[in-house]
Amino acid sequence: MKGSILWNIQRYSALFIFAYFIYIVSFFIISDEINFSILSNFFFSYTFKVSTTFVFLMIVAHSYVGLWTVGTDYLTERTLGFLSKSLAKRAGLLRNLYFIVFITLGIFYLMVILYIIWL
Amino acid sequence: MFGNKLEISLYRYNPEEDKFPYMKKYIIDKPERDIMVLDLLNLLKEEDQSISYRRSCREGVCGSDGMNINGKNGLACITPISEVIKRNKIELRPLPGLPVIRDLVVDMTEFYSQYEKIKPFLQNETTAPEQERLQSPEDRDKLDGLYECILCACCSTSCPSFWWNPDKFVGPAALLQAYRFLVDSRDLKTQERLESLSDPFSVYRCHGIMNCVNVCPKGLNPNKAIGEIKSMLHKNKKDIIVSDGA
Repeated sequence: MKGSILWNIQRYSALFIFAYFIYIVSFFIISDEINFSILSNFFFSYTFKVSTTFVFLMIVAHSYVGLWTVGTDYLTERTLGFLSKSLAKRAGLLRNLYFIVFITLGIFYLMVILYIIWL
Repeated sequence: MFGNKLEISLYRYNPEEDKFPYMKKYIIDKPERDIMVLDLLNLLKEEDQSISYRRSCREGVCGSDGMNINGKNGLACITPISEVIKRNKIELRPLPGLPVIRDLVVDMTEFYSQYEKIKPFLQNETTAPEQERLQSPEDRDKLDGLYECILCACCSTSCPSFWWNPDKFVGPAALLQAYRFLVDSRDLKTQERLESLSDPFSVYRCHGIMNCVNVCPKGLNPNKAIGEIKSMLHKNKKDIIVSDGA
């Protein structure tokens, strides 16, 4: 994979997350009054649902790149070798387990979010 | 504590005698005038002949005596003790992240293999002119701040990305040189050079923490060069997309 693809995913996803943050904050600033019906209208609006779905996809993509980087930095033979030689020998296995765990968690997290938003 | 004394804590390791490295303390009379850290090591060497370190030009040109001085990488020959001394103490360690051969001498193989990867020479297959390949003054100016690197490894060994992946991440020193050849108007292998750097590790492991800029004894800015390479890679990708679509 090209490094620029991962780099762009992380930068552009960060921009979308920031834009979403502004969108939420601006709603509370612009609204004269905050009550149940106004909040309900906002949270059940199609724009909110689509933008929230999109931003959570971005969060998953952003964290995938970040966590993959952490795994390939710290779960290597060299880095684990500082702790113990037996750990270093299992670096590949540990790294793959770590990837499986965070990918599974990412998928689970996304499914829960989509369920909350759309169902 | 030591008004006119100087305490030097020196990293010692001789693989033939020591099981583990250790810090040895030396206390000497504080020199009357400001001297360089290398001079200090020379004074210690007179006292203890077994101390090992690299040095050659003693004027910041050869890059041999890069070491970690009170926690910051630098060249011993151009670092005055007055700049680094803290409470009359100086701690000297080898460059971090590279295997130690003995005392302050590190194995630079990984550093040089990354330098080798970027093909640090002009690649131009056109017929060479009789005298030399000329450049415009503007094109020559682009090499300023790049060609001055002396490969002392102070920057690369202060970079955590290089510590963790010295076999995959090219490192700031070699990337500075990679950019030096990428912007050289006489070099015609820009596309190939960029292609060789386009993987997720070679350049993109730089997260811009700027330790390299902080320690460079020549005042260079590898981080800026890395940013320029990333920009070239980005533009290069766009050019490919445009040409494919045309």
